[in-house]
Amino acid sequence: MQSFGKNHWKTVRAQFLFARVLLPLAVWAGTCCFSSPAQADNDVTLRETAQKLAERVATIPGLHGALRFEWHPDANWSEAESARWQAILKGEFEKRTLSLTEDAGAPALDVFAAETPTQIVLTAKMSLSERDEVRIVSMARSLLPSGSLLPSGSLPVAPIRLERQKIYDSADRILDASPLNNSEDDGLAILLYRNFEIVALRADLKGAVKETVSLNPANVKPSRDPRAELTMRGSSVSVLLPGKVCEFSWEAPSEMKCHAEKPSPSDKSGWRGQTLLASPCDGSSWKLLSSGGDPNAREVLQVVPDGAIRETSAAALSEFSGPIIGTNGERNPSNALVIARNLRTGNYEIYKITLACGN
Amino acid sequence: MKLRVASVSLDPREWTPGSLFAAASEKLASLVYDRLVALDDHAKFQPALATEWAHDSAFRNWQFKLRSGVRFSDGSLLTPTDAVVSLQISLGRAFEVTAAENGVAIRALHPAPDLLEQLASGRHFILHWRPDGTQLGTGPFFVVESVAAAPSEANPTAIKPAKIKFQANEGSWSGRPFVDFVEVTLGEPPLRQLLDLQVGKADIAEIAPDLVRKGRQEGLRIWNSAPRTLVALRFDDAFDAPASDQLREALWLAMDRDTMANVLLQREAQPADSLLPQWLSGYAFLFESPMNLQRARELRAAFPAGIPGATQPLRLRVDAPGDLYKLMGERVAVNARQANLMVQVALPPASASSSPAPAAGLHLIAWHYDSLSPRAELEAFVKQLLDGAELPANTTDPEQLCAQERRLLEERRILPLVLLPEYAGVRANVHNWNASPWGDWRLADVWLDSEDPMTTKTPAGPQKNSSTARSPGARP
Repeated sequence: MQSFGKNHWKTVRAQFLFARVLLPLAVWAGTCCFSSPAQADNDVTLRETAQKLAERVATIPGLHGALRFEWHPDANWSEAESARWQAILKGEFEKRTLSLTEDAGAPALDVFAAETPTQIVLTAKMSLSERDEVRIVSMARSLLPSGSLLPSGSLPVAPIRLERQKIYDSADRILDASPLNNSEDDGLAILLYRNFEIVALRADLKGAVKETVSLNPANVKPSRDPRAELTMRGSSVSVLLPGKVCEFSWEAPSEMKCHAEKPSPSDKSGWRGQTLLASPCDGSSWKLLSSGGDPNAREVLQVVPDGAIRETSAAALSEFSGPIIGTNGERNPSNALVIARNLRTGNYEIYKITLACGN
Repeated sequence: MKLRVASVSLDPREWTPGSLFAAASEKLASLVYDRLVALDDHAKFQPALATEWAHDSAFRNWQFKLRSGVRFSDGSLLTPTDAVVSLQISLGRAFEVTAAENGVAIRALHPAPDLLEQLASGRHFILHWRPDGTQLGTGPFFVVESVAAAPSEANPTAIKPAKIKFQANEGSWSGRPFVDFVEVTLGEPPLRQLLDLQVGKADIAEIAPDLVRKGRQEGLRIWNSAPRTLVALRFDDAFDAPASDQLREALWLAMDRDTMANVLLQREAQPADSLLPQWLSGYAFLFESPMNLQRARELRAAFPAGIPGATQPLRLRVDAPGDLYKLMGERVAVNARQANLMVQVALPPASASSSPAPAAGLHLIAWHYDSLSPRAELEAFVKQLLDGAELPANTTDPEQLCAQERRLLEERRILPLVLLPEYAGVRANVHNWNASPWGDWRLADVWLDSEDPMTTKTPAGPQKNSSTARSPGARP
C-alpha cells in the first residue's frame, strides 16, 4: 500500500496515475526492452515490500545459521519477473544478516509469491524446532512497473528484418497515433479515450505531453467501442470520428470545427486502409498484417509482400504482448507506428517499427 | 440467459451475505446499477460513478467526486444524496457517509485501506429508491418486464420459470451496450439449461459443476471463474461446548475432501482447507486438512456419553439448494460412517407449510464470496455463520488475517470441504465474452453474431424493433 505523510491528502486520478512516459533508446535489432523513468520508483516499492518481509523474518525467535532460500513465484509470472523478485528478496534478506546458502542440508526458508485481484502476497515459511513460523506481507499490484520484460518475437527471416522500439505507453486506451508533421522526429500526436472522452495529445520525442486537446466539441457519445483516427496536415489535425470529422490546430485548439462526414463512394468506411512499408533494400512494397482479433491473446505482426497471401509469404514476424489495435504509416516509408495492448499490465503501447535490410 | 436460482431480488437490502440467492441477484443487479469504482483485470481501480478519489494517510477519511451528468433510467440526475443513502445502507455502521460538494465523503471507524476493494464489489451499488419501494439504476440496462414463476396452462403440475427482461439503456454514461435486450430465465433444472444452450434456446447459461464435463464433451465453450463458493460443514452453537470438541475434531479428520472434489465433482472443484480461497487471500496454501481415519476412530471411541454421532445420529441438514449439495451431504455421511460416526442427512422442509424438520446439529452450507477485500469477506463470514465468535480485528495485514483465520479454523465450528468455481456455457455466437476471474460477467460488452438465426430476436409489443446483433468496429 502507498503511504503518505501526516495530514497529506493524496488525490488519485485513476486514469492519470499510471500513465507512463518512456525515454526512447537506440533501436535494438529485433528486440525491445528498455527502462522507464518510472520503473526506478516502482523498484523502490518492490524493495520496500521485500525489506518489510526480511525485517519480519529477521525477528523470528531462534533463527540461527545459514538458510536455504527456496523461491516459489506466482504461476503467472514470467521468468524475468520471477528472477527480479528473487534477486531483490535475497538482497534484502542478506542486508539483514540473514545468511543464505545453497547447501541442501541447511534449513529451508520457503518464500512464496501469490497474486490476488489487487495484491501481491509474499509469504515466508520455515520450520524451526517442530514449529512452523510464517511471516506475510503484501503490496498493491498496481504499483508494479509496467512494460513487458519479454523480448519480442525474433523469428529468423530474410531478406528483411523488423526492428521495433516502444516509444509511448499509457494506462488510457490509445485509439490512434501519428508522427507530428509526418515525421516522428518532431514527436507524436496521440488520440486517447480517457474517462469516456476522446482527447488528443501532442507529445515530444521523449514522450512528454506538451499539449492536451479535448474533443468535447465533437459531442461524441460515450461508447463501448470507441473509434477515432487522426491525420496530420502540417500543423492542423484532422480527427475522423464515426459520422463526423473534427479539425483543429495545436496553436488554436479552441477553434476546433466539426462537421458531418459521409463515406466516400470509393471507400465505404472512410477509415484508414492497410499500412504499407517500403523496403530500404530494394524499394519493394510490404504490408502489415496481424494474426487475428482476439482481444485476450498475444498477437503476431506479420510483414508480407504486398499482394501475397499471409500464410505462405511472411517475411518478418514480431509478437506483441497483446492484441494490436492499429497501425499507421510515416513519411519515411520504411517506418510505421503500431498500437498494441499489453495484456500483462493492461497498458496501451505505441511502437515504432522499421524495416531494415538483412538478418 | 439462464440462471439456476429460482428467484432474485434487485434490492440489495434483501440479500443475505454469502448466499447463492445474493450471488445471482448481484449478477443481475450489475446490469442495472453501477458502483463508484470498478476493478479491471490488471489490478487497477477504474472510475465508474466516481471519477476521482482521495484519502488521508490513516485511510479513515475518503472523498469521492461523482461523475457529473449521470442519469437514472427514468431520466433523473444522480445526486450525492443517492450515493449517500445507498452506501450508508451497504457499508453499515462502521462507516459514516455524507454528501460533499459534487460527491461523497466516507469516514471509517477504523482504517480502511481496502475501501476501494469493498466498493468495487458485492452489494455496494448506487441506486435510487422510489417512494413506491422500487429501485432505479444508472447501469447499461433497465428492467422492462418481469414475470413470476407460475403453473403452466397446459400442465398445471409443471411450473413455468420466472423471467426478467432487461433493455439497453440508450443514454448509459458508459456507452450503450451492444445488445438490445437481455432475457433471463430463472430456476430451470441444470440439465435443461445445458440442453437449451446446445439447441440455441439460450446464449449464456450457468452450468452446474457436475455437468461441466458433459458440456465440454458436447463441444460447448465453458468459462469458469476462480473458486467462488465454499461448501462447508457448520456446527450449531449447541456444539460449541468443550464436550463436543472431540466430535468436531473427529468429523474434521474423517472428511475425504479429495474424493469429493475429484470424484463426486469430477475434478471441477478443489479441496478446501481454509475459509478464504487462495486467489483472494494469497495465503490459503498454508492451511491443511489431512484426512486421518484412524485418529478419527480413536477420538470416536473416547466420546463422552450422550454426544450425538455415537449412540444416536448427528443430524446433518443440507441448507444449500439443489441435488448437487444433497449428494455432498450423503458423501459426508459416508465419510463419517468410516470413522464410526453416525450422521443422518435431513433435508429442509419442502415448503413453508410442511411440518418443521427436527433440529439439526450440523449443516452443509454453501458460502459465496462476493467481496474483493479478504478482511471484509472474513468479517461477513464470521458475522453470518459463527454467531458469538469474536469478530476479526480490523486489519488488512495478511499475517494477522491469516492468524485470525487459523484461530477460527482451529475451533472446528466450520469444516471447509470443497471450493467451487462458477461455470457458464457461452455459445459460439457470443463475442467479446470477457468475464473477470472473480465472476463479473460484463454482459454490456458482449455482442452477438448477427448471422446466427437463433439470435435475431424481434421484441414483441410496443418496443421498437431492433436487431440484437451488432458488431463493433474497432478492436479493444
